[in-house]
Amino acid sequence: MEGRGREVVTRVLLVDDSPVDRRVVQLLLSNTCAGSFHVIAVDSAKKAMEFLGLKEEGKEQAIDMVLTDYCMPEMTGYELLKAIKALSPLKPIPVIVMSSENEPQRISRCLNAGAEDFIVKPLQSKDVQRLRNCSSALATTQCKGESDGKLLPSDHVVVDAATVAESPPPSRRREHFAGVAMVLHTSSVELSQYFPFLFKFILLVYAILCLGELLHRWSSGCFLSLWCA
Amino acid sequence: MAAAALREQLNALLSSMFSQGLVDEQFQQLQMLQDEGGTPGFVAEVVTLFCDDAERIIAEIATLLEQPIVNFDKVDAYVHQLKGSSASVGAQKVKFTCMQFRQLCQEKSRDGCLMALAVVRNDFYDLRNKFQTMLQLEQQILAYDPKQQ
Repeated sequence: MEGRGREVVTRVLLVDDSPVDRRVVQLLLSNTCAGSFHVIAVDSAKKAMEFLGLKEEGKEQAIDMVLTDYCMPEMTGYELLKAIKALSPLKPIPVIVMSSENEPQRISRCLNAGAEDFIVKPLQSKDVQRLRNCSSALATTQCKGESDGKLLPSDHVVVDAATVAESPPPSRRREHFAGVAMVLHTSSVELSQYFPFLFKFILLVYAILCLGELLHRWSSGCFLSLWCA
Repeated sequence: MAAAALREQLNALLSSMFSQGLVDEQFQQLQMLQDEGGTPGFVAEVVTLFCDDAERIIAEIATLLEQPIVNFDKVDAYVHQLKGSSASVGAQKVKFTCMQFRQLCQEKSRDGCLMALAVVRNDFYDLRNKFQTMLQLEQQILAYDPKQQ
């Protein structure tokens, strides 16, 4: 991790075969958190492995995080994820997988393989905080899950070792929990758009029930007797 | 005065693109990133990249569909890529057309895929023309008001 004074710079290896997606993510990371991200972009998982393989054991890793697309020719993002986790098992590089397909099976598959997070494309400004939380620098210096003071929106679930618990459960349970959390998160994001409608519906039902009760009392004469009393 | 008229024209164009469903909130977000992040030319760069990439992908798909034996997996892969880049720039209509195209790829229907390709091409060209007009208007506005850079 480089430091410019107090500011922490996260070095991100971006892997995506789409030139449009690479550029959008690069610009997004540099615009949303100016100076916080240094992005190195490659167009294939093979090139990513070559880049990471240049760093031998014992030397300082030049990458704090890998952000990879899932669907790529020759070597997929999932295969890259497994290879990266196997590269340095003692100090693995955090890997975040992106995909345009919001498939729960794909999400849990990646999380079970050790991915720190799974983001559904297109990447948006609100996803950038998730990247910051998953960087290895934050994982080592903020092991209690503190963010940089910003609260995440309620529909975001950040899944990484630093924020799951102070005493994290065993890795299998953590992965299972993370998988369920991600699936719930994707469901909750879809359901949240119906909340206003649901709220109005409940209000309407309550109003109808109250009206029905009033009519019942009026018809049975209770209302008049109460009025006259 | 002329700059104001151009700005009005640009706003009307953008408004129509949104109302026709050509672009969605992702495109709006890219515009906001450009305006708030102080990165001039952000949208122009991404849009230009998208148009070049989409043109290439459509040509590749056309070539694959002309083969005597169509490799529908490869066609699907290209359509998936086009769908992804459309989503990234907010090209909503092209994205939806690609989603329908992928279903035809699953059905392994050459005629269906050819029709879908024609629709994708049509939607893309329509969007590209609008993007080109948008970029021209932005350039003209900048020429009148360099302070916007």
